[in-house]
Amino acid sequence: MRDWKALVEERLASLALEPQEKAEVIAEVTAHLEEMCEEMLKQGLTEEEAVRRTLSRAGDWQVLRRRIFAAKRRKQPMKKRVWQLWVPGFLTLIVSMLFLTVLYRLGLRARLVSSGPNAILLYTPWLAGLPFLGALGAYLSSRAGGSRANALFVSVFPALALTFAFLFMFPFSLTAELITGRPVDFSHVATVLLKDGIGWIVAPGAALLIGGLLAHTLLSTRSSSQRAAIG
Amino acid sequence: MIAPGIKRGTAELAVLSVLEDGPLHGYEMARRIEEQTHGSLRFTLASLYPLLYKLEKRGWVRGAWETSGTGRRRRCYRLTSEGKKKVAPIRREWAELFRALKQLTKVSHA
Repeated sequence: MRDWKALVEERLASLALEPQEKAEVIAEVTAHLEEMCEEMLKQGLTEEEAVRRTLSRAGDWQVLRRRIFAAKRRKQPMKKRVWQLWVPGFLTLIVSMLFLTVLYRLGLRARLVSSGPNAILLYTPWLAGLPFLGALGAYLSSRAGGSRANALFVSVFPALALTFAFLFMFPFSLTAELITGRPVDFSHVATVLLKDGIGWIVAPGAALLIGGLLAHTLLSTRSSSQRAAIG
Repeated sequence: MIAPGIKRGTAELAVLSVLEDGPLHGYEMARRIEEQTHGSLRFTLASLYPLLYKLEKRGWVRGAWETSGTGRRRRCYRLTSEGKKKVAPIRREWAELFRALKQLTKVSHA
């Protein structure tokens, strides 16, 4: 006889609920599948056919996980947003900054992409690691029941935070220079903004997004293959 | 065959209606609905349990673990007094909708 509890535990493993709450959901869904299969056996189906039909009738496990999470967390939309967006987002940001610091301490330097006054500095060792961190963010968001948009937002969160820091620093330094009476060369400022924007926002953002997209696609494919196995 | 989007809207009334007859556990609820609608409304796990949890949060149904004669633990749901009050207005809303659709489409089976 099929071990339905093990199957349900595996399919609902990523359901982000309190342990007691999750155990109750697993027990309830297990009992449902056991009864359905037993009834089919009573109707004279072979065990293999009963199991196959029960799995087929169970439906989409990814949808089940998402809906159960939404139903159980219905009165706590703020908490849901915290776990789907802010916690994984800030975690991805912190880990990416720590990663950058470690690389710097190890003496791995940025790489100059072009020569001359308009050279762009790309921190290639950091960029190479960012897809993994983007993937981590997307995974954590998806695990908490986040949508595709949530997962991708989380994966590029470090680049968004850098954009915010950039936009905040630019008028601040401009005002400071105006107050101190230093002449402001706007063409120079624009060039620096463009160069640093590419090196610290666009390129890292793209690297993070690639990781996030790959992780999300992989998670979706895994879920689809589980569905195929069910059917 | 009824489209999934339409079925989703009717699921709440279907569940509340079968629970009017007495407490039921999830599988039995799905089985009865399917049987009474001659297979037109068929619940998957994803359409049944999240709905039951929502109804429970609203206070319309209450679930409690019970042990069956065979020793299996099952969660049985029953309508609360608040849930019982909701059935009639929801049923009226659906009846009104069907009447409106019938008038609009002039299809006797709407």
